[in-house]
Amino acid sequence: MDTEIENQPVRPLTILSFTINGRTVQVTTDPSARLADIIREALDLTGTKISCGIGRCGACSVWLNGKLVNSCLIMAYQAEGSTITTIEGIGEEDNLDPVQQAFLEEGGFQCGYCTPGMIMAVKSLLKDTPHPSDEEIAEGLSGNLCRCTGYSGIVRAVRRAAEKEQ
Amino acid sequence: MTDPKPRAAANNKQIRPDGIPKVTGRLRYLTDGSMDGMLYGKIKRSEFPHALITSISVEKAAAMPGVRAVITHEDVPAVNGFGIVMPDQPVLCEDRVRYVGDAVAAVAAETPAEAEAALEAIEIKYEELPVLDSPEKSLSSEAPLLHPEGNVLHRNGYQKGECEKGFNQCFCIVEETYEVPRQMHTYMETEGGIIAPEEDGGISVYMGTQHGFKDRFQLSRILGIEEERIRVVSSPMGGSFGGKDELNVQPYAALLALKSGAPVKIHQTRSESMRSGIKRHPMKITMRTGTDQEGHILAHKVEITADTGAYSTLGPAILDFAVEHAAGPYIIPHVEVNGVSVFTNNGVSGEFRGFGGNQVTFALEGQIDRLAEKVKVSPIEFRKMNLRAEHDPGPLGQTIVPTMGAEHVLNAMEKKPPRLWRKKEWKQYGTGIAITMHGGGLGYGRLDPAGGRLSLTSEGTIEAAFGFEEFGQGITGVIEAVVTEAFGCSREDVTIRIGDTAKVPATGSTTASRGTSMVWHAVQRMKGEFQEKLLDKASAVAGCLKEKLSLGRGGFYCEEEQVLTFRHLANVLETDIVTTTTFDFPTTPDNMDGSHYLYTFAAVRAEVEVDIRTGQVSVAGLNQAVSAGPVIHELGYKGQIEGGGVMSIGYTLMEEASMRQGRYLTENLDTYMIPGISDVPFDLDVHPIESLSDNDPHGPRGVGEIGTVAVAPAIVKAIHEACGVWTNHLPVSPNKMLEHLTEREVQPWIPK
Ligand code: FES
Ligand code: FES
Repeated sequence: MDTEIENQPVRPLTILSFTINGRTVQVTTDPSARLADIIREALDLTGTKISCGIGRCGACSVWLNGKLVNSCLIMAYQAEGSTITTIEGIGEEDNLDPVQQAFLEEGGFQCGYCTPGMIMAVKSLLKDTPHPSDEEIAEGLSGNLCRCTGYSGIVRAVRRAAEKEQ
Repeated sequence: MTDPKPRAAANNKQIRPDGIPKVTGRLRYLTDGSMDGMLYGKIKRSEFPHALITSISVEKAAAMPGVRAVITHEDVPAVNGFGIVMPDQPVLCEDRVRYVGDAVAAVAAETPAEAEAALEAIEIKYEELPVLDSPEKSLSSEAPLLHPEGNVLHRNGYQKGECEKGFNQCFCIVEETYEVPRQMHTYMETEGGIIAPEEDGGISVYMGTQHGFKDRFQLSRILGIEEERIRVVSSPMGGSFGGKDELNVQPYAALLALKSGAPVKIHQTRSESMRSGIKRHPMKITMRTGTDQEGHILAHKVEITADTGAYSTLGPAILDFAVEHAAGPYIIPHVEVNGVSVFTNNGVSGEFRGFGGNQVTFALEGQIDRLAEKVKVSPIEFRKMNLRAEHDPGPLGQTIVPTMGAEHVLNAMEKKPPRLWRKKEWKQYGTGIAITMHGGGLGYGRLDPAGGRLSLTSEGTIEAAFGFEEFGQGITGVIEAVVTEAFGCSREDVTIRIGDTAKVPATGSTTASRGTSMVWHAVQRMKGEFQEKLLDKASAVAGCLKEKLSLGRGGFYCEEEQVLTFRHLANVLETDIVTTTTFDFPTTPDNMDGSHYLYTFAAVRAEVEVDIRTGQVSVAGLNQAVSAGPVIHELGYKGQIEGGGVMSIGYTLMEEASMRQGRYLTENLDTYMIPGISDVPFDLDVHPIESLSDNDPHGPRGVGEIGTVAVAPAIVKAIHEACGVWTNHLPVSPNKMLEHLTEREVQPWIPK
């Protein structure tokens, strides 16, 4: 037997508790597990995606205490006691958020894989800047990659959602 | 019932049927799934780009905690190979590896970490071989042979007139060599899903692909299981762009599932995906093109060398496509094209949106712009002088469907008012136009069957079933729009069934811009018969004369009143109402292997700013006119052209999966850069030209690829207009721009 592997330290698991989409949850996990994995695997909230795993694409964007973060870069222990919102906490089929509605109407998605993260970023942008200029849109969404739309439909959706805010 | 009969109006602005699940994050992609007792699979890939395998030892790995199956070449029951055309890529290598993505072993364990640890414990000994990291090296006489037949995968060419004679008559000749990079598809969802063993010894595959039935065939060949016992569920997917048409991780999950008796999930990480996934063919293209004094092109000689990497996949067809499109929409009396696709120890090149057209179009349009400058004719005028007319034959001399597309798209771009620049001191501005023609379908002599099925479901909806896949391009939106249009029914009346070999008819691949066109054809063929069948039954049930009955939202109408719902009819029916059709994608009657019959056209006008301090090129405007027949789904159409355009901005200015000595220099999206929102113009202009020639029976054409094809040459011409620099290499990086600018002493701080 490979002693190296046998002797690998088993990291002690911790119990984390936090609030996600208004629900308080407890998860038993390795403290250095990625928040993205906890959300997807332990909590089965698969709207949050992982595409690069290194903080470059924004597919895993969620709000941590109201701030937009890449959940693939957050370690479990950093979420202790926090309030998290994922796409599942934004709107539902029969009660869509205006941003989701705007994405539908303006073609803000195609394959949809970047979409949950993108919508989290757009909502976060509009919360801080209800009527963003083009530069502000670019800045607010610069951490979220989309390979399908070329961003045009996303920009139209942001503009439309911002208009509706008035 | 008194509903007035609202006939569903044009549905082409309709939101997509897959929209709500996508914007709410509720859509379960195949990589989001899990199953009871599921294991996690990991693949051990080669450490070397080229080596002999001297030993493989998996005992340690197999004994590790949580490990439930380890597989090597010994575990492949039937053909140890895959490839859409030729199965020359080993599923699991036995004695030799030919690229860093080659798989040697795979593991299934109870947790991802256990699988990872077991992978580390697999011991493979290699004896390194010389690395052939360029087609030049592979073609040299000392090169070792990568495959029994040699290092040439495929050659193709064609000839018309006598090129040398043509060049002798030329007043002006331009000869250039163009080099284009290895581009990664960068679908946001990396490859993966779950494969579950079934009680009958078969498997169910839940993994994305562009052609479920082809995966089923290939898996059957590997596993030695009849196709009937393999079910492939393959939609939805988070992007593909051609990149998931070939098998990727399916064989490993299948073998592991069969060996362990449990469902196995594999979801590649981005770096695993980069290392193993196919890419766009890097090509070196030399073109020599000459004109007479006025600017009529007389001769055009083309040499194409494609780096196809270690295995075949669709390399031959891509080279054929490049050869076919090497003279584009221009009528030239003397043409000679020679292409060769060469095996190397680089990453495998394969299918990618545009299919070889993007590479040759960049070179061809570069020639056109250089010649126009030399003979002092405007680029648009020059193109018009040489452009094909409505009834001209196709590029290989084959009969094609008459089309004015080339002229129409060029005119549309010519008419567009010029951009008004808000100029800045450190910037230079330019505009460039390029055009292209692009064949749809697989081409003459290639099996290209299509079809479809319509039925009334027991819930009272019209089910439209096709063997197509949804990877974001919008086929579901197209199906919904075509069916609601055909029957005047509403979207709620339609059930779309795709992406599951157990439930849909085989209708060919979802590639080659064929999906839209085939859905439309199929429904046109089926709608008369299906409607007749429905009306026959409805008239009996409703007790209303068939002649007075018609279909509409929710059911059947007699004059203006609804007399029967679809649901009611479904409830009382004793036999199913089903209509099916099968046919082939239309091809040219002429025996020209691989040549196309239906073409689409695009003209691109790119407007760029070049920052002469940094060499940074930014695209301020990208306008595309597309001639592809009627628009079926407006948002879908627009989205394909916009998204395709931006993907090609990436190809032109930033994307390259560089390799050195057969190893990738990029591992993730921090070094492989794709366009972010700050790299693109916000308002892309898409100008569809819907008219077709008189009596054209072929309806709408697909637009999945055309928006990517002519973008690079338009940007490169715009750069030239901005600062006088011609570039032959993509991507045009800021560094390269600075070199050019310094060379030309464009920067104002350089004293003249
Ligand atoms: S997956 Fe987290 S940023 Fe890409
Ligand atoms: S919609 Fe496919 S990546 Fe954005």
